[in-house]
Amino acid sequence: MRTVLKVVDNSGAKKVMCIQALKGKKGARLGDTIIASVKEAMPNGKVKKGKVVYGVVVLAAMQRGRCDGSEVKFDDNAVVLVDKQGQPIGTRVFGPVPHELRQKKHVKILTLAEHIA
Amino acid sequence: MISDIVNVIFYLGNCVLLVNLRRMRLEKCWFCSSTVYPGHGIQFVRNDAKIFRFCRSKCHKNFKMKRNPRKVKWTKAYRRLHGKDMTHDSTFEFERKRNRPERYDRNLAENTLKAIKKIDKIRSDRASDHIKNRLKTGKVQRQKEARKQLEQGIHLVKAPHALAQDSSLCLPKIKVNVSQAQTEENQPMEE
Repeated sequence: MRTVLKVVDNSGAKKVMCIQALKGKKGARLGDTIIASVKEAMPNGKVKKGKVVYGVVVLAAMQRGRCDGSEVKFDDNAVVLVDKQGQPIGTRVFGPVPHELRQKKHVKILTLAEHIA
Repeated sequence: MISDIVNVIFYLGNCVLLVNLRRMRLEKCWFCSSTVYPGHGIQFVRNDAKIFRFCRSKCHKNFKMKRNPRKVKWTKAYRRLHGKDMTHDSTFEFERKRNRPERYDRNLAENTLKAIKKIDKIRSDRASDHIKNRLKTGKVQRQKEARKQLEQGIHLVKAPHALAQDSSLCLPKIKVNVSQAQTEENQPMEE
C-alpha cells in the first residue's frame, strides 16, 4: 500500500502507486500481482494518469529467498502492467527480470524481457 | 543466460516423469573472491542486469559502503594485485568458467572428481611456496638484525663486571689476525 513503483514497460505509465496486494497479508513481494493507481504517465500512452491497473512486481529491493537457499535483491521496486488475465499491456520490458515469474506463470513477461536474472 | 531449470523427462516403464532439476554452480564472491556455496550469501542484481554475488554480509556491507575490493587488504583482489598471492599458474586454467553443460558420463565424472583433488593439492602447494619465498628475505633480514643487536647490546643484558668475571656469559671471541708490520712498530715504544 502506498508504495510507489517504477514501471518498466512501454505501456505509457511511469510511476504507479500500490493500492492493494492481491495475495498475502503482509504485502506483495517479488513476482506477486498488485492493484495500483497510475501516478505519472507519458502523454501519449495506452495508460493514463489516475487509472487503476494491475501490475506484476518484477524488481524488489527486499530480498527474496530462492529454492537453493540463496537470496536475491534488486536495485529498486518496479512493476510491469498487466490486465486482469495476466497478459502484459505493453509490448516491451526493460531491465532485468527474475526467475520467479516462471513459477507464477508469467511466461509472456519473461519472453519480452531483455535479461533474466 | 541459460536457465538453471532443466526439465528432464524420465521414462519409467510406460509412464513419464517430469522432474525439475536445478543446476548447481559454485560462484565467486564479488568482493572477497571466496567461493559461494549453494544456500549461502546474497545475490544483488543491478538495473543494468549485472549480478553481484556475496558470500556473507561482511562483503555485502562493504559493497554497500562503496569500498573498492582492490584497496581492502583482506580480499583476494588486493592480495593478487599487490603480489601477495600467486597470480599466474597453469592450475587456474582448470577452474575457468564453462557454460556448456557436459553430457553425463560416469567415467568422466569419476576422473574429474579425482583430478579436482589432485589439482587442488598442487595449487595450494604452489601458493604456499609462493608465500614462503616471499617471506624468506624478511626472515633472513630479521635474523641478521637480531644477531647485530645482541652483539652491540649485550651490556644491556649483563653488567660489564659480570661479563669480565664469567667468560661463559660473553659471546665467543672472534679471532682477528693482526699483521706482522703492526707488532714491529709497537716494540720500539715499549722499550
